[in-house]
Amino acid sequence: MFLKRIFLFLFLLFITKQVFADEELKIKIFKNVRCLVCQGQSIYESNSDFAIDLKNIISKKLSNGESEIQVYEFLISRYGEWIIFTPMWSWHTLILWIFPIFILICGGILVFRFNKVNK
Amino acid sequence: MAGSIANFLLSVSLILSISLIFLLTIKINKKNFENLSVIYLCSDGIFYLLFISFILLVYSFIVSDFSNLVVYQNSHTTKPLFYKISGSWANHEGSMVLFILILSFYLFIFTKKKIDPELKCFTIIFQLILIFIFLVFLIFTSNPFTKILPTPVQGLGLNPILQDPLLAIHPPFLYFGYVGFSIVFSFVLAALMTKKLNSFWSREAHFFILLAWSFLTIGIGLGSFWAYYELGWGGYWFWDPVENASLMPWLAATALLHSNIVTQKKNLLYSWTALLSIFTFILSLLGTFLVRSGVLNSVHAFANDPFRGLYILITIFLIIFGSLTIFLLKNPSYQRKNNSFFFQKDNFILINNCFLIFFLSVVLVGTVYPIILNAINGESISIGPIYYNSIIKPFLFVFIFIMAYGPFLEWNKNSNNSFIKNLLILFIISLIFSLIFLFLLNNKNISLTLGILFSFYLFLTVIYDAFREKKLSINLSRILAHLGFATVIFAIFINGYFAKEINLSMKVGDKKQLENFLIEFKNTKSIKGPNYDQITANFLVTDGNKKVELTPSIRKYNQPAQFTSETSIKSNFINDYYFAINLSQFNDNKISLRFYYKPLMQCLWLGVILIACGGIFGLFKKKYENTI
Repeated sequence: MFLKRIFLFLFLLFITKQVFADEELKIKIFKNVRCLVCQGQSIYESNSDFAIDLKNIISKKLSNGESEIQVYEFLISRYGEWIIFTPMWSWHTLILWIFPIFILICGGILVFRFNKVNK
Repeated sequence: MAGSIANFLLSVSLILSISLIFLLTIKINKKNFENLSVIYLCSDGIFYLLFISFILLVYSFIVSDFSNLVVYQNSHTTKPLFYKISGSWANHEGSMVLFILILSFYLFIFTKKKIDPELKCFTIIFQLILIFIFLVFLIFTSNPFTKILPTPVQGLGLNPILQDPLLAIHPPFLYFGYVGFSIVFSFVLAALMTKKLNSFWSREAHFFILLAWSFLTIGIGLGSFWAYYELGWGGYWFWDPVENASLMPWLAATALLHSNIVTQKKNLLYSWTALLSIFTFILSLLGTFLVRSGVLNSVHAFANDPFRGLYILITIFLIIFGSLTIFLLKNPSYQRKNNSFFFQKDNFILINNCFLIFFLSVVLVGTVYPIILNAINGESISIGPIYYNSIIKPFLFVFIFIMAYGPFLEWNKNSNNSFIKNLLILFIISLIFSLIFLFLLNNKNISLTLGILFSFYLFLTVIYDAFREKKLSINLSRILAHLGFATVIFAIFINGYFAKEINLSMKVGDKKQLENFLIEFKNTKSIKGPNYDQITANFLVTDGNKKVELTPSIRKYNQPAQFTSETSIKSNFINDYYFAINLSQFNDNKISLRFYYKPLMQCLWLGVILIACGGIFGLFKKKYENTI
């Protein structure tokens, strides 16, 4: 009996945590989706009809068990990549990561050479 | 009437600037540097002329002279006087007048400096060329004194979101910052042309760099503060392209400030300092282009016009091309040898310069790349905060570590070990502190731990640094600025992980318990303002044993007819409680609201103020103490 209670307790704990995580994921996604009819806001921050509709659609998709990536893919196929704030990994967004790292490496080499020349 | 006079004055200053450029070129060719006082007088004259035309523009706004197109489009008789005045630079044309006025202002103070005449003449030429380019832009593409006939009886009014005391003073600060780098730019080109890029140059330039940098810091801080309380989304930095546009010159200028110190102290890094001086100003121009051209999707992009954008773009390309050509042709090759060790101050400054440029490149690529991609193949991508945070964060920790270490090193010799031992002790203290802190707050996030660890470490080392020297004033500038930076980073991390956001909808009399806040909607009140009607909602928030009253409101401005949501923020220095009403959702007498709990916001602003104070203190430091 006691053990059963503990299991129930753990189960509930797990469930609540799960629900909590779902809510967090939802907010994370909302914050990452651009409200297309607003000026530089996410749908999380907007109360326009567009944002409300999109929030409902995303909630439904998540409760149907779709993953974050699947939601994004759906949105991108419908509205284009503009709608997602975080650039997805693809060949033309690669430069966003490569360029700064390239600059950093160049800087590192220059600092190294500066040290060598001085010695 | 005022408009025609001002237009005339603008044309006179245009003619004056072009003739001065010719005159100076002749003088330089003949190497004849006599009678320079006439030239100084004329260049002062340009400043006075522009100042008067600016005053005339402000006057047109004050008296609501609607025969002036700009006044008609941006003002209204019922607007309070303060916003009539600030309205004169809250639009494209007026802000360009301010831009040019500040260009000539820096020329004005520069001519008062005692500098070698050849170097001075060259600097004046370059600065005059800039003034000329922007005057042409002003007069022919965005004239602030265009007339309309017949004269309208009433103006269209100013966007209510711009009717805010902070936004009134934020652009001038930002412009004094941006444009301040123009004189550094002209000065460095002049030094390259005359081969006088030496420690004297570096000392004189230091003043202007510091001045512009301090203004820019304050300007960014004010802009961020405005976004925090006026936009009502609880955020203070959105990685919006226009915010990035002001951050880029700041990062470049911070790198410049530090590399110039090395130049001054050790006669090193001349090319690097010169290059940074050029790029800082170009980035300022890029900022102007981004804001003014309408290529951006942002709250700031008022007054868009593709032709203006094209003009500024071409100008930027010409300036980049011209200045880099001068740099490449005239760049001196210094070969100075010195006994150097890895653990030496100049080396650490250089390493952090590298990181600053890295941060700059992140912001640059994130801001510009989407525009370029869109122009090339029509694809639109968005780059939001997650990109910036994830790429900057890991390097920020290293940056802070080096920033904490650097000041303890010597300029010319390997540092002694006692400092290093003490720093290690400080590091262990901050490690223990951050672990205890997170244990108390019950959070196990790794990046939060690192953020607290490193910002606290920086904080401790700066305090240690302050007590290490016998005379505080020698390093006070650095200590203040670094202390401010530590505070800002600490506040950003705490805020990022502990801020709370609650959406709710309530009607009068409702009481709700959400998380640990008891929120009570007491009543509403109507108020009539000078040019708006306002409905204020009164809330009582109970957080533990703290009670806070908050009064968010909605305003209906009469001209232009527009609703704004005014936030209500109460702070007890540690936490901000923040309420904003959603504009578009009203049903069944309920209003929907956003409640934010934002820890350490005041610390963040304090940090920015400290950084700026560091810069301002450096300006007033006496010359003989200039030993950093």
